[in-house]
Amino acid sequence: MNLQNASAVAMKDLREVFSNIGIYGPMFGVPLFFAIVLPVLTLYIATNAAPAAVIKLVQLPVQPSDIYLKSLAFTLFFAVNVLGPIFMTMPIFTASVIAADSFVGEKERKTGEALLSMPISNNELLLGKLLASFIPAVVLTLGVFALYGGVVDYLAYGQFHVYLLPTVPWLMMLAASPLLAIAAMGIVVFVSSNVKSIKEAQQISSLLVLPVLLMPFASIFGAAKITFSFMLYLIIGLAVADLLIIYIAAKRFKREAML
Amino acid sequence: MQSDIAVRNLVKRFGKNTALKDITLTSKKGINIILGPNGAGKSTLLKCIDGLYRPSSGYVSVLNANPYTDAHARSKISLLADVYGLYDFMSVKDNLRFFGNFYGLRGDEAIRKTAEMMGELDLKQYLDAKVEALSRGTKQKVAFCRSMLNEAQVLLLDEPTAFLDANASDVVRSHVQEMAHDGKTVMFVTQRLDEVTRLNSRILVLREGRLAAETDAEGIYSTVFKGVDVSVRLARPIGEKAIEGIRNIVWKNGKRPTLIKVRINGYGEVNKVLKALIDCGAYVVSVDYAEPALEKLVFGGRK
Repeated sequence: MNLQNASAVAMKDLREVFSNIGIYGPMFGVPLFFAIVLPVLTLYIATNAAPAAVIKLVQLPVQPSDIYLKSLAFTLFFAVNVLGPIFMTMPIFTASVIAADSFVGEKERKTGEALLSMPISNNELLLGKLLASFIPAVVLTLGVFALYGGVVDYLAYGQFHVYLLPTVPWLMMLAASPLLAIAAMGIVVFVSSNVKSIKEAQQISSLLVLPVLLMPFASIFGAAKITFSFMLYLIIGLAVADLLIIYIAAKRFKREAML
Repeated sequence: MQSDIAVRNLVKRFGKNTALKDITLTSKKGINIILGPNGAGKSTLLKCIDGLYRPSSGYVSVLNANPYTDAHARSKISLLADVYGLYDFMSVKDNLRFFGNFYGLRGDEAIRKTAEMMGELDLKQYLDAKVEALSRGTKQKVAFCRSMLNEAQVLLLDEPTAFLDANASDVVRSHVQEMAHDGKTVMFVTQRLDEVTRLNSRILVLREGRLAAETDAEGIYSTVFKGVDVSVRLARPIGEKAIEGIRNIVWKNGKRPTLIKVRINGYGEVNKVLKALIDCGAYVVSVDYAEPALEKLVFGGRK
């Protein structure tokens, strides 16, 4: 495999994404906004809006009697069990947007013929395009987790004089993010030969956020607890699913998909 | 001598549509013109030869390799497709650098390699311009320069002069002829009969996905000049009696005409008509005819 070919494709795709504010603007803007606003809202609700009421809404592992501790427990629960899964959707969205633009965009912009006529193998092409989607998705997720963790800790320290993050399940959510990005990219490769537009591919691969978004509801209503073992099973399951998705996607990938 | 391109029983289907139906051909060194109307399958054939499409059945071999599966084989092939395929967000320079990467050209090597051609095509002023800001003709010129990056042995050109002005078209054609002269194999797709005359080479006529005929310029004009009306323009009026001897005059602009239309049944008759007119003292200033649609031409009894 000629890695220079793959890296040329990856660099080109990255430049393409970052040359269009319509693509990278919402991709970065929305998570950054959420990373600040959601922790602030959480703490406001926990400490000011209804500290006693909110504690009844969620099934906390412990039910502290003190109002201060209730607010603290709620903030921690919300920061990990509710906001964590929300931020886990970031790698899915980012990878879907870039991968769809990268794979289906060649078809939509009619540049696929020129690219495919180059002496580049399918594997080099796939690797380049997957890297172009994977790297920003992971970097953005790392950045967003760091920012949201930082905001949570800043606010928590100001209010409770303790740092709440990172916790082990929270770190495992971060560890699961690259696997979610890979799954989203695999789905794009999978559907790229059957879709006609970038939006179509994005919409299909974005469906992957639905099971992730079940997690906060499941933990609010006590159906699931986001613990170390839960996250471990999730990561193992995702890794197996990724291997399967990428294997099938690579097998099914046809050069014609970009024409 | 082995042909650079060998196509055997090639069939290409897109869903229920069959774009190529059992095409068998071998290339010859030099220019191989592929002539055919819209929808004949010309572009699909080039894309199969370049390895962009996997044949539904049959096989394509270029320089003894399968271009669909063998990426290395494509380093010796160059395709100028019907869409220019440049990245709009990049400058001309960056496009050439990007595509040059795949041929092992690093840094500005790709720019240096195409500098002469860019000069001839008046492109140097656009080197730093983004492709999205260029006209269609200029994009086509850049795409032609890109197709020269790898000094390919096999050139696949899909209507390379379609959006070019006369001067740029001449530059492109003369380069193509030069490459043909250097022993390269060129597949030149066109639907323009004047291009056929200019390139003066072997012609493969494609129609409705089939290879309808293999011919040359003479074969094309033998077919074209069957029952076609030729207009002859004269510098000054000529007497009615002077044109009495000319058969098949279908129209003239007055009793002492300066413009006559003659029905021709073979290109040789054009000379006879002109000779008759000149012998009668006429001054011929132009000969013109309405080129028939390619769809209507019949080659060897096959439309």
